Amino acid sequence: MSWSPQILARARARVLGADGTGAADPAPPGLAAVADGPRAWLLPSWPDGATPALLEQYEVAPMPLDRAGQARRVLAAALRCCWTALDDAPWPGEPAPVAAVLAVYAGMTRGDAALAGRWATGELRRLADTGWLLLDEAAGTVRPGPRTALWREESLGPLRDLLRRMPGPGAAAP
Amino acid sequence: MSELFGPLLDAYDERRRAELVAAYMAVEHAAAPVPEVRFPALREPALRRTVAAMLALSGRTLIRYGREWTSGYHDDVAAELAADPACAPPPQDRAVLTLVLVHAVAIPRAAGLLDEDTWLSPYPAAADELRRRSQLPVGELEAALRRLRTAGLVTQVKAGADDAGGYVPGPQFHRLTPGARRRLQEELILAAGPDSPLAAAIRARRRAARTASDEGEQA
Repeated sequence: MSWSPQILARARARVLGADGTGAADPAPPGLAAVADGPRAWLLPSWPDGATPALLEQYEVAPMPLDRAGQARRVLAAALRCCWTALDDAPWPGEPAPVAAVLAVYAGMTRGDAALAGRWATGELRRLADTGWLLLDEAAGTVRPGPRTALWREESLGPLRDLLRRMPGPGAAAP
Repeated sequence: MSELFGPLLDAYDERRRAELVAAYMAVEHAAAPVPEVRFPALREPALRRTVAAMLALSGRTLIRYGREWTSGYHDDVAAELAADPACAPPPQDRAVLTLVLVHAVAIPRAAGLLDEDTWLSPYPAAADELRRRSQLPVGELEAALRRLRTAGLVTQVKAGADDAGGYVPGPQFHRLTPGARRRLQEELILAAGPDSPLAAAIRARRRAARTASDEGEQA
């Protein structure tokens, strides 16, 4: 059996999760290209608009995620800081200081703030490894990842409501 | 995306189409093989062939465990991806994963505690053992374990009353084709007992296969 370059490109995109390419390069069919200034991210896309959330309907467990609740809270804290124009789409959003995200996260949790900060830093790295956030550790900034560009407009309402209710980085000071 | 799957799906009515998409998403994204009893498109051979064709568009294939199914990369595609430096995990991740496989699978298997053809194990590789044997600074070891966990290649086992916890192979090990399981077993023998008669036999068989394929190309 021979494998066409397009099949291999889709296989590669699945391995890499979110793969950077030049914005001018055409995306192979079956991949979504998310434009990001001079570059683009290639993401796998699914038939008929299905998402892995479909597994819930069939009561099938998705790939396990360590500390899923914490990951969601850190993602919410990052979006609170990076997605400031809530009437627009979350992508591309704005870079925000990691320190601001950690402050928002600290405001959501009880207990040892230093420990919460360390957990949240690890979580930011994992969210960046998987394309939900783009983390620039050298610059100390974070912004939404290309996967957020695939969120459908009709699914954004509850998320916008949640972010409107969350205290921002300024409010979280002790 | 419909433009990709359209040629395969357009022939089906709405209900069949939804069943095909559900089966495709289930084998691609579930943590473990899914039972065919819950997915008509996996149960019926004609529909299952369409699911296989949908997977093949991304170089993937159906993998069967009795009456349960999952998906993985086709062997040839896996070989192509492994040759691509961007797709191969960094050496420290591979080293840590190898240690987990040696402690969680190879040693229990040699002791007769695990089946020949499984890569999942209830015997965790102890965290201190990984620290002692990996020769990696602790920060790098932790980063490698974080990436391996995120990728589903290892699962952390919390310490219990009788054991100190550690790491076992993760859910991705369901997704190995029979060929990939055999190659992994051979690699582990070559790594753990390079001077053993079994290792010599594996090397001889691989040499013969290479020679045969070279001759095939020249013919």
